Amino acid sequence: MGKLLILGLDCAEPELVFNKWINDLPNIRSLVKNGVFGPLHSTLPPITVPAWTAMMTSQDPGMLGFYGFRNRKSYDYEDLFFANAKYVKAKTLWNHLSRNRLRSLVFGVPQTYPPRPLNGTLVCSFLTPSKDVQYTFPDEVKVELDRVADGNYIIDVEDFRTDEKDELLEAIYVMTERRFKAFRYFYQKDSYDFAIMVEMGIDRIHHGFWRYFDKGHRLYEPGNKYENVIHDYYVYLDQEIGRTIENLPSDTSVMIVSDHGAKTMVGAICINEWLQREGYLALKEPPKKRERFKTSMVDWSKTKAWGEGGYYSRIFMNVQGREPKGVIPQDQYETARDELKARLEAIEDESGKCIHTKAFKPEEVYRETNGIAPDLIVYLGNLDWRSAGSVGVGSVYLYENDTGPDDANHAENGIFIWRSGGNHPGGPHPYSIYDIAPTVLKYFDIDIPSEMIGTPIR
Amino acid sequence: MRGFTLWFTGMSGAGKTTLSRMVEETLLERGMRVEVLDGDVIRNNLSQGLGFSKKDRDINIRRIGFVCHLLTRNDVVAIAAAISPYREIRSENRNLIKSYVEIFCKCPLDVLKERDPKGLYKKVEKGEIKQFTGIDDPYEEPLDAEIILETDKETVEQSFNKIIRTLELMNYIPPSGIEDEYTEEEEEKIKERLRSLGYI
Repeated sequence: MGKLLILGLDCAEPELVFNKWINDLPNIRSLVKNGVFGPLHSTLPPITVPAWTAMMTSQDPGMLGFYGFRNRKSYDYEDLFFANAKYVKAKTLWNHLSRNRLRSLVFGVPQTYPPRPLNGTLVCSFLTPSKDVQYTFPDEVKVELDRVADGNYIIDVEDFRTDEKDELLEAIYVMTERRFKAFRYFYQKDSYDFAIMVEMGIDRIHHGFWRYFDKGHRLYEPGNKYENVIHDYYVYLDQEIGRTIENLPSDTSVMIVSDHGAKTMVGAICINEWLQREGYLALKEPPKKRERFKTSMVDWSKTKAWGEGGYYSRIFMNVQGREPKGVIPQDQYETARDELKARLEAIEDESGKCIHTKAFKPEEVYRETNGIAPDLIVYLGNLDWRSAGSVGVGSVYLYENDTGPDDANHAENGIFIWRSGGNHPGGPHPYSIYDIAPTVLKYFDIDIPSEMIGTPIR
Repeated sequence: MRGFTLWFTGMSGAGKTTLSRMVEETLLERGMRVEVLDGDVIRNNLSQGLGFSKKDRDINIRRIGFVCHLLTRNDVVAIAAAISPYREIRSENRNLIKSYVEIFCKCPLDVLKERDPKGLYKKVEKGEIKQFTGIDDPYEEPLDAEIILETDKETVEQSFNKIIRTLELMNYIPPSGIEDEYTEEEEEKIKERLRSLGYI
C-alpha cells in the first residue's frame, strides 16, 4: 500500500495558484500537471476553525457543533467557549488510520491542541496557548522540535495585525522555514503511512500584505515596497514543497490543500452599530469612544439581537424563555429572524449601493445543528466586508479593521491538488472540503463511515 | 506505554468478542500496539486439533496465556477473549503474565440461550454438541476479576466504558482527556493568544 502526504497551506488562494502565478511555481505546477486539481469549496463559514476539522472528519460545522473559534456554551450572554481539540467529538482521519494500524504524522493541523494519543506523532497547531504547555504527542517530541528547528520551533507569528511590516515578513519566513525543516526531519526519521502538515504562513501574509499587491484594494499603491511580497512568498513555499517531496518513494501520493481562499477586504461593517441603528440593540450608556463590544454593555430589556465580529458575523437573538432576559416571544422568533435576515441582506455601502450580504439560517445549511448555533450566520457583502464588533464608532462603516491592520478577508474556495498516480480527468474540477477525508480513507482501502458527508475523489 | 493482558472470560455469547474488538479499536486509536487472541480464531490456528476435554481446554488456555505473556513483556497489549472456564488455569496465566486484568462477562444462562449468536445453544439442546460450557461442562466464575460486566443488564456501550475507565484508572492506558474541562489558566492563555492574533 502506498503512502500519502498532505501539505496544507492555510488560506492558499486558487486564483493565485492556478492562474496568476502557476508558471512561477514549478513544483506545484508539476503536481497539477500530473494530477487532479481545482478549487476546494470550504465550510460555511470559510474559517480556519471549523474548516480544517471539517476537512479531517468530513462533517459540517453543525454536525461538529462549533461554528467558529468562539461558540456559545449556554444561552447565557457571556458563556462562550473556544473550540479546541477537547470539543472535537468526531473521529479525525488519524483516528481512523490509527484504528487500522496505520501510522500518522500530524503537524500543525488546527484544533489539535491539547494533543491526544494516536498511532504516530502529533505536533499541535497555532491554537496552542504557548510553548510552556505540552503540545506534542509523544511528549518528548517537544524537545526534539526545538533542536531541529534551529533551536526554536515557532508555533505561529506573534502578531500578524501589525504595522511593523518588515518584522512581520521576517517572522513569517523564519516560522515557515523552521516548520518545514522540522516536518521533514520527523517525516524522514520514521516511517509513516500518512502525514499532514499545515503551514499558516500564507494566511498571515495575506492578512498582512494584501493591500500591497492587489490592484483592486482601496489602499493599493503602484510600485510600493511590498508589491511582490505575497508572490515571492508563494515562490518560496513552492521551493519548500519541492524540497519536501523531492526524495519521496515513488509510491507516495501527494496532496496540497487549503482550507479557504482570500480576497480583498473592502472594509468592515460595525455590526453592533448597525443593529443599534436598526433598533435591534440598545446599550445602557452610549460609549464615549470606540470600544470593543461586550454583552455587559447591553440593555437587554430593549435588545432583540447582537452580533459577534470576525471575517463573518454571528447574530444572536434575545429570545424569551431562552436567553435570561429575552424579549422576542418564542412564537414570533421565526418572523423576527426572517425580518432581520432580509434587512441584513439589504445592507448598503456608504454610497447607498447594496453590498449583497448573505445571511444563513444554520438549520438550512447544516445536516445537524449540535451545540448552540448562532441564529444567523452572515457574510457581509458576501465576505467582501468583515464584521467589526466595536461600538462607539460613530458609523456603521470602518475602512481599517478594529483589531489591527488586516487587508484580506476569507474567500469560499481553497485549493486542491492531488498527484496520486491514477487515471485522472482533465482539470480543473470543483471539489468539496468534505471530500478529503473519504478520499484518504478510500486511498488506504478503509471503509468510509456513514457519518462522513463527502465523496471520495477518484 | 507498557504492555498488559486484558483477559476476557465468560460463557459463549456473553459478549467477549464484541467487547474485545471495541477495546482493541480504541486502544489502537490511542496509539497502542494491540493484538487480540480470540478463542475461536486461536482454535482454528494455534490450537488446531485440540478438543473440548478438560485436558485439551487447559492446553488451549495455557497456550493463549503464553502468547499473551510474550506480547505483554514486549509492551504489546494482548487481549484474550476465550471462555477459559477453569479458575486454576486462569490463575496460572495471571501469575505468569503479572500485568494482567481479568474481565468477567457475566450473563445468566437463559439470556445466553436467547441470544445464541452462533446457534450453539440450539445445537446443544438438540444433542449435536456435547461438553458445552455451562451446560454439561463447568464454568467456574472468577473470584478476583478486576472488572465484572453484567452484560444482560448493561448496554454494550456501558460495559465498554467501564473497561476503558478502569484501565485509565489503573494507568494501563492514557486518558483520552476529552471530557476534561479547561483549567482557568489554560482558558486564559488561549484567550490571550487569540487576542494577540486579533481574533477576539
